[in-house]
Amino acid sequence: MEHKFKPEQMTKKYFTPWVIVLAAIALNGLAFLAMRFFFGIGSVTNLNNQFPWGIWIGLDVGAGVALAAGGFTTAALGHIMHRDKYEVIIRPALLTAMLGYTFVAMGVFVDIGRWYYIWHPLIMWNGNSALFEVGICVMIYVSVLYIEFLPIVTERFIGRVNLPGFLNRFNLLVDGLLRKLDRGLDKTMFIFIIAGVVLSCLHQSSLGTLMIIAGPKMHPLWQTPVLPLLFLLSAFSVGFPMVIMESITASKSFGLKPETDVLSSLSKFVAPLLGIYLAFKIGDMFIRETFVYLAEFNSTTILFGIELVVGVIIPLRMFLSEEVRNSVPGLYIASMLVIFGVVMNRFNNFVTAYNPPYATESYFPSIGEISVTLGFVALEILIYRLFVKIFPIISVPLKNVGLKAKYAIRGGLK
Amino acid sequence: MSQNRREFLKTFAAIGATAATLTAVTPKVTKGKSTRPLSPNRKGVLVDTTVCIGCGKCEWACKTAHDIEPGSINDYNTKLTDNSQRRPSENALTVVNQIDISNANSGKIKLQCMHCEHPACESACIVGAITKQENGAVTWDTDKCIGCRYCMVACPFQIPAFEYHKALDPKIVKCDFCINRTTEGKLPACVEICPVGTLTYGTRDELVIEAKRRIGKDPDKYFNQVFGEYEVGGTSWLYLADKNLVDGVFPKLGTNPAPGVSESIQHGLFAYFVPPVALYALLGGVMWLSKNKEKNEGGH
Amino acid sequence: MRKLIYLILFAFLTTTFAQNKLSKLHSKQNLECTTCHECEVPTKTNPCLALCPRDKSKGISNVYKLEKAAKVFEINNIKGEKDIYAPVVFSHKVHAEMSEMNNGCITCHHYNPPGEIVKCTFCHEVDRNKSTINMPDLKSAYHRQCMDCHKTWEEKTKCENCHTLNNNYKPENSESSTVKINLPLKRPITKVYETEKYIKGKLVSFHHNDHVELFGLECTSCHKDESCQSCHNQKLDFKKTIDTTRHSRCESCHSAEIKNQCAKCHSEKETAPFNHFTNTGFDITKYHSKNSCKSCHAKAGNFSGLKAQCQSCHKWNGDNFDHSITGLKLSEDHIDLECSDCHENNNYKKPTCSSCHDEAEGFIVPQKLPGEKVN
Repeated sequence: MEHKFKPEQMTKKYFTPWVIVLAAIALNGLAFLAMRFFFGIGSVTNLNNQFPWGIWIGLDVGAGVALAAGGFTTAALGHIMHRDKYEVIIRPALLTAMLGYTFVAMGVFVDIGRWYYIWHPLIMWNGNSALFEVGICVMIYVSVLYIEFLPIVTERFIGRVNLPGFLNRFNLLVDGLLRKLDRGLDKTMFIFIIAGVVLSCLHQSSLGTLMIIAGPKMHPLWQTPVLPLLFLLSAFSVGFPMVIMESITASKSFGLKPETDVLSSLSKFVAPLLGIYLAFKIGDMFIRETFVYLAEFNSTTILFGIELVVGVIIPLRMFLSEEVRNSVPGLYIASMLVIFGVVMNRFNNFVTAYNPPYATESYFPSIGEISVTLGFVALEILIYRLFVKIFPIISVPLKNVGLKAKYAIRGGLK
Repeated sequence: MSQNRREFLKTFAAIGATAATLTAVTPKVTKGKSTRPLSPNRKGVLVDTTVCIGCGKCEWACKTAHDIEPGSINDYNTKLTDNSQRRPSENALTVVNQIDISNANSGKIKLQCMHCEHPACESACIVGAITKQENGAVTWDTDKCIGCRYCMVACPFQIPAFEYHKALDPKIVKCDFCINRTTEGKLPACVEICPVGTLTYGTRDELVIEAKRRIGKDPDKYFNQVFGEYEVGGTSWLYLADKNLVDGVFPKLGTNPAPGVSESIQHGLFAYFVPPVALYALLGGVMWLSKNKEKNEGGH
Repeated sequence: MRKLIYLILFAFLTTTFAQNKLSKLHSKQNLECTTCHECEVPTKTNPCLALCPRDKSKGISNVYKLEKAAKVFEINNIKGEKDIYAPVVFSHKVHAEMSEMNNGCITCHHYNPPGEIVKCTFCHEVDRNKSTINMPDLKSAYHRQCMDCHKTWEEKTKCENCHTLNNNYKPENSESSTVKINLPLKRPITKVYETEKYIKGKLVSFHHNDHVELFGLECTSCHKDESCQSCHNQKLDFKKTIDTTRHSRCESCHSAEIKNQCAKCHSEKETAPFNHFTNTGFDITKYHSKNSCKSCHAKAGNFSGLKAQCQSCHKWNGDNFDHSITGLKLSEDHIDLECSDCHENNNYKKPTCSSCHDEAEGFIVPQKLPGEKVN
């Protein structure tokens, strides 16, 4: 360990031209969202009785959950297996997961017709429903993620509590509470960390179970009883590329040197994981003899091809190459491809593969749907940027090596 | 380092294998199981499409019974002639189509919720807002529904409709087998109004026998199939026709209950919470071991 | 006393015989057991009667008498919560008459066990919420029964064809409303058949109008086993057709011609409708145009030639013929003459006077008339 790292608040100014652009995209999305709440889902989306689910479920929820997998995979690696080397990426991954899941919940919130009943699954249970499983797991997992994030909040404010105005008389009290909370979390964090990984495994796979009930309405290239496993495996594979992509982007954005060493050793895990996923996917295709559908040449099979070749096979080959793993652009492109592949896979599962029997025309997302989805992505990035300025999340190399400050999430078994 | 990675991969492979066995094995074991015994007195409707004249009175009666603006009853028999496959929607819980859209002389067929014996929508619904009632009706509960539309994804007949253009209180709309009328001892509105007796309301088991009697009596008139007897595990509404309704009117569906595979996987993954707890314990063990190892390594 | 015993004995015997006869009646009839029984060995306790032998009912029909049939029925035994329509007035007799061209009464009375005609309600329940699922309820049965035929010619069987809306309904004119629903008939004037084999005269022109209007044939005398739509379907076109029944339809009247006078019907081109002058040589347009065929051809169905002499029909002579009906009142000089004195050779056109009056000799007939004109 040559370098010591410590998470710090970013000091670079918030607004840049790119931030303005993102803000515009976010505002546009919010405008369409307002329309959805005032005039109903039908006024904004292309959804109809044949196509009840569009990209708000396929991308915002389906892909959103998958891309937030960085949180639990790094937690498993860093906390459960105690690879201290990777601690530097745990906090960014955690933040991404937290924000990711928050926006998944937001996506669900705007997509369901009776948003004011979103709390119903908490008290109205249907154990047969895959969606219920996903819903409950996501709800609990979001809470777990917030709890996992709390130590960062306490770290940021302990000894620095400065409430405005007359409230400052409570400064000491709040500080004391934060310290108590911090100690409590310190002792129990391992419960939440393991729970987070278990919950993730459960709902990542249950997300795959969702479309199984659509039966013959799903294109056989995607419809398979092992969908939950494929979803879980692809979530495993996309976790690290997501972290790599974020880390490089954040470094570039805040003018830091990418942690190439950590990232390239992290990237060694990607190829085996992708390989397992690919093996299952191809194996399933041969067992069920669905490859015959590839002989047809239409948009469905093309999308399947893109998902598999561009999204899995090419990045798999790239991650196998040491040269790629050691170069920042190589890592970046390969990671982006994996992310693209998983996004594509979720989109295909929820949208492309879904062929309702009486549809007279096929579904294509409306401008409103695209705007909201892009808006959410932009908003997520903006909040991420805001959070890394407020909280110590991104690690920077330490100037003086004598470290007393905590640089890791207090967790794990003591 | 490399040793550690190997262990890590081993662990992951173990998790994967556990999940794989669960998903692969359980469907075969629990295929077609039903969660609740069905009442032997559950009702159904036999639709004899060879009798239907396509007058559309059932559409009118249905709307009237469900507080949908029905319009004039005399406008209905012209609706058939627009040569399109209309679908049940939020504005019409039932529609009558020509079986063969290009042929005005072909039989007519009334479409509505089939009221499956093992409804996919009931299985899918996140909050259990859809219920298979004892009398066979599959009903929807406005006080529970969150509007996620998963029932629409799940339905093999693509029946539930959604009020997309309502900002507040949009409903999932589908035939409710006139549950309010049948509990009062009345007939479903469509059955009551049908002028030619296309629709026969009765106990499902008896209807199956009656349907087969009709086929047996007139084998030239009927295609030898009671649609709904076995499809997706059986439906409360049964159809007789002069031709095969599969692929022309109804999608090709197996005889396994629609929620079967999905529920099996679901219950496999959560069998008495054993798999999640086992995974939790496994991860806890790995965490503890690796922590100790780290300590030992640190001691060196 | 003995008489009384005989009487009782007779009554007993007849009733027992009659009963025997009845119970054996249906088994002796030319019937398949399976028409009525579903099992192979029906017993008295378990006759396992079939629900409705609808489609096999031919042969167990009672012979109904058309004269006994009611003229119209008002179907008012189906009542709903809110009735949109008034009771349907069913012109039973008209339908019964027309059924003679079809299957007869059993077209509708499809189930008729020996005995009185059973009412529809004998099997078909009035209540829609019925106890059996095997049989349509009364309303359905009515609709199916009527529409099965009506839909064969009505493109869209509209409710209003049979039903009147409730507020338009006045019970007192139910009789007249049946007259209102007089269906238009599609009848050919002339139908041309094309024959395949008879090359000399490929075409046979059948003058339907003449047979109906001139010859006064009833529909039933030709039309048997006819579907309703062949007359009621307004869309049917009477094009040249190849008649598969060939001679059979015409045979009952034209048997003689069919045997040896082919050219009477077969021709190379379409023939003109019947014309009394061209076809028989006797012009009826002048004096007989208003007569019905019957008034001369008194024997029904026999149109064999009459003698062209007036006397063969008109038994007139100089005494009983009032000449003034011809527009000329004979003068006293002429009134006692025999008809043939002026009208020679049975020619009753304007005669020449020259047989009595010599025009050449300058004898001028006063006003040149044998009397004075009257109107």
